[in-house]
Amino acid sequence: MTASRNEPGASGPTGGAFAPDAYNQALPFGLHHLFGAMNALGTLWILGLMVLINLDVFGRNLLSTPVRGVTEMVSLSIVGIVFLQLADTLRTGRFTRADVLMDRLKRQQPRVADALQAVFHLVGLVLMLIILQASWEPLVESIRIREYVGAVGDFQAPVWPIRLVTLLGLATTALCFGLLAWMDLKRMAARGRLAGDAA
Amino acid sequence: QQTIKLTAAAGHPPVFLWVKTLDEVFIPEVDRKLAAGGKYKIEWTKAFGGTLVKLGSESKGIADGVADLGVVSTLFEAAKFPLQNVSYYTPFGTDNIELMSQTIAGLQKNIPAMADAWNKNGLTYLGGMALDSYHIWTKFPITRIEDLNGKKISAPGPAANWIRGTGAVGVAGSLNTYYEDIKSGVSDGVVVFTTGAWGAKVHEVAPYVTKVNFGAQFAGGIAINKRRFEKLPPEVQAAIREAGDKWTAEYAKAQSALVDTRFKEMAAAGAKISELPEAERKRWADALSPVAKTWAADAQSKGLPADQVLNGYMNSLIKAGTKVPRDWSK
Amino acid sequence: MSSEIIALGSLVLMLALIYAGMHVAITLGLLSFVGVWLIRGDMDIAANLLAQAVSDSIASHIFGVVPLFVLTGFLVAYADVGKDAFEVANQAFRRIRGGLGIATVAANAVFAAITGISIASAAVFTRVAVPQMLRFGYQPRFAVGVVAGSSVLGMLIPPSLLMILYGFLSDQSVGDLFTAGIVPGLILAVAFAGVILLMAWWRPGMVYVGELQPVDDEALMPLSEMLLKMLPIVLLIGSILGGIYTGLFTATEAGAVGALVALLIALVRRKLTLRSFWGVLTETGHVTVSVSFLIICANIYTRMLAMSGTPQAMLEWMGAAGLGVVAFLVIYVVVVVLLGTIIDSSSILLIMLPLMLPIAQQFELNLIWFGVITVVAVEIGLLTPPFGLSIYVIKSTLGRTVDIPLGEMFRGTAPFTLTMLAVLALLMAFPQLSLMLLK
Ligand code: NA
Ligand code: NA
Repeated sequence: MTASRNEPGASGPTGGAFAPDAYNQALPFGLHHLFGAMNALGTLWILGLMVLINLDVFGRNLLSTPVRGVTEMVSLSIVGIVFLQLADTLRTGRFTRADVLMDRLKRQQPRVADALQAVFHLVGLVLMLIILQASWEPLVESIRIREYVGAVGDFQAPVWPIRLVTLLGLATTALCFGLLAWMDLKRMAARGRLAGDAA
Repeated sequence: QQTIKLTAAAGHPPVFLWVKTLDEVFIPEVDRKLAAGGKYKIEWTKAFGGTLVKLGSESKGIADGVADLGVVSTLFEAAKFPLQNVSYYTPFGTDNIELMSQTIAGLQKNIPAMADAWNKNGLTYLGGMALDSYHIWTKFPITRIEDLNGKKISAPGPAANWIRGTGAVGVAGSLNTYYEDIKSGVSDGVVVFTTGAWGAKVHEVAPYVTKVNFGAQFAGGIAINKRRFEKLPPEVQAAIREAGDKWTAEYAKAQSALVDTRFKEMAAAGAKISELPEAERKRWADALSPVAKTWAADAQSKGLPADQVLNGYMNSLIKAGTKVPRDWSK
Repeated sequence: MSSEIIALGSLVLMLALIYAGMHVAITLGLLSFVGVWLIRGDMDIAANLLAQAVSDSIASHIFGVVPLFVLTGFLVAYADVGKDAFEVANQAFRRIRGGLGIATVAANAVFAAITGISIASAAVFTRVAVPQMLRFGYQPRFAVGVVAGSSVLGMLIPPSLLMILYGFLSDQSVGDLFTAGIVPGLILAVAFAGVILLMAWWRPGMVYVGELQPVDDEALMPLSEMLLKMLPIVLLIGSILGGIYTGLFTATEAGAVGALVALLIALVRRKLTLRSFWGVLTETGHVTVSVSFLIICANIYTRMLAMSGTPQAMLEWMGAAGLGVVAFLVIYVVVVVLLGTIIDSSSILLIMLPLMLPIAQQFELNLIWFGVITVVAVEIGLLTPPFGLSIYVIKSTLGRTVDIPLGEMFRGTAPFTLTMLAVLALLMAFPQLSLMLLK
């Protein structure tokens, strides 16, 4: 529903050489399809939450049979949803940031803007990798001790699938940051060549 | 004089007595002991209310070194402390908070698997705490278990097992939601402990308080990062251990006194407090499924000596003179 | 290097990096990581803290329904429910300058009775009100400012998550707190409306783009059409309010029920194809994720601050300074507002109250009134840079449909932030305003 300025496929795999930034473009190796698919899963999950809570509300009031475990499932789900969709949210340029300085640079010093964006994306990559490596051990532990929400004899759900989804989400987001940085650098190099040709 | 930096944390805010006494009993006691020795001084950073470690991840936060010591709510970390939660699967026990923490402390001493839960998670156990006995707060009076038939009762986690079989429908929730849930009619009442009920102001919306006495419940303790503890000078270690014992005793005493105060305050605020007759209490206990057996079987399947814990637990309650309406180990 | 200096340094760096255009969430995460590493002298602890926060800062039932509130907002907008409602409002308020702004405030006050969190209000009204205000010639930053400003009503008018949390921490009746929030909430709404009127008359350039449009009486809708256009929104709000107040569902669950009702309305009005519904869902996901990720990273930053002991030192200093009651209140409010510029609402309560409540009690302040003051002061933080959650929610919800720079948005919100400060001062000076509905 948003009028995206450049959809995947609108430009080559490296992105338009003179696009203002790397967002909303096709990614190398067609990886935007992977991120898009994960995003779609997250989307269905949101719809599932709506159905689940309504089932609980109507079941409780009309049939006196609440759905047990909705509270636990909702609080786990939100984490799963966020990390399934994190990479696509990044790819489509939806991470919030201030654009005052960047907009000016894009107009006046496009190569500096490219370089700065590359740096920011690399920082994002590093941060994701740090969280990623620290998230591995909790996942293993969660499987080992069969961590669950709920209670024995009542509703019980395992926690590890959410930890796994989180890990996958962090990994794909790290990948996305890396690809964005690479596209920034390529764009900067292309601008440099053009400047060289003109001179 | 050597200064040592320690960070104390808790997922709960200090309105809860186990956190308040960590701040007002435990920490000053460590300081007092060390001041007497004169060699060491601790510089404390305090982060309560989940500002540093959240409820449910307190043990990991302390084991990781994000905090050095603090309250670990075993209730919210059932997968890491399965055996510590035995009381939640053996309702209608004792309302004596001190007896409850002593019982669990005794089991931890005698059954290695129980003490191991702390060590394996990178923690050293310093003292324990139990919540005061659970009762039921409702919009309607209760004199017999039939009064619960068809009613929606908020009973989260293991407490859901205390309701199933009475004809009531269990509804999820937490201390944060009870007030709104009952007020709006999502549930007709709640099973909760007295001091928590007062904090959540449940009596304003569910004024019928029936003392069912589901029993005090072991809910956690103070623990310190194991590696950090072992590196501390012996004198500091001793001070911390002794402060842990003092905290355990003082907390139990203070919490018991608080329960009486809270009941008086609730009555003054218009709550109608009554006691469930002993015969009805027995009928209630008998109406439940053998939940302790289910729990023990689950833990045994994970290689834990839950049968031994269950037997030891019931034995020590009965030996201490508790009249239990149902022996869950049978 | 002392931990307080590390915390202070991180704040300066935060301002610089955000200005330079680094993603806000990444900035917060990075600075916290480095901060914890320096404070503890151990990189692993810092990494573990981050990983832990990633898995538990948003894992709550209350937060889990946020995407559903966002979805409701999108569906309402898609079904033209918002458009119709605002056409009616525009006609009704056509002789009042800034009428749509006032309509937004009024609608938000009503919606506040449905939701307990301000992010929900911000998400819903960004989709419903902003496009309409732009359509009728309002300044983009004014449109955003109105939505951001009035979103705070969501946690002042009951039900309110912040009030529940305060009730817990202060041992006060949640019911009394809810009641005490009503009059201040209405005062704030009226003050917002007043400020809009003032701006529209004295500084029309702040409200409208270009010339003031003349009132056109010829193209008026007949009353029957107005009623028909109002029907869906009345149905939606009525069913949710009715559901909450008759006990069918909670304010938290209202997100799911609202989304379902909005979906049904959109289907009945034949405004939704499978394709556009998918688009709505995808967009809902992106908004939820960008807001959630920000909240996670803000929570990480809060943990770093807690570890540094800075808030504690600040509060202990306040406690030891032996202030008089007025000085105490003023400094308390200033500290809350300052913390509000960088950390999230509930963390402020959790950090401040344990140390401040005993002092407030010493001064024998009415703790219900103190709660209202606290909540209003905390809510100002939703509007202030660099971490102004309401603004970020609006920015995410707008996506690429309307391009308003972040700085511009904060400027557009400034009149409403100042109004809140004025109302806060009023509430502080006259406790009776908060307590009049209590017996
Ligand atoms: Na509200
Ligand atoms: Na702010």
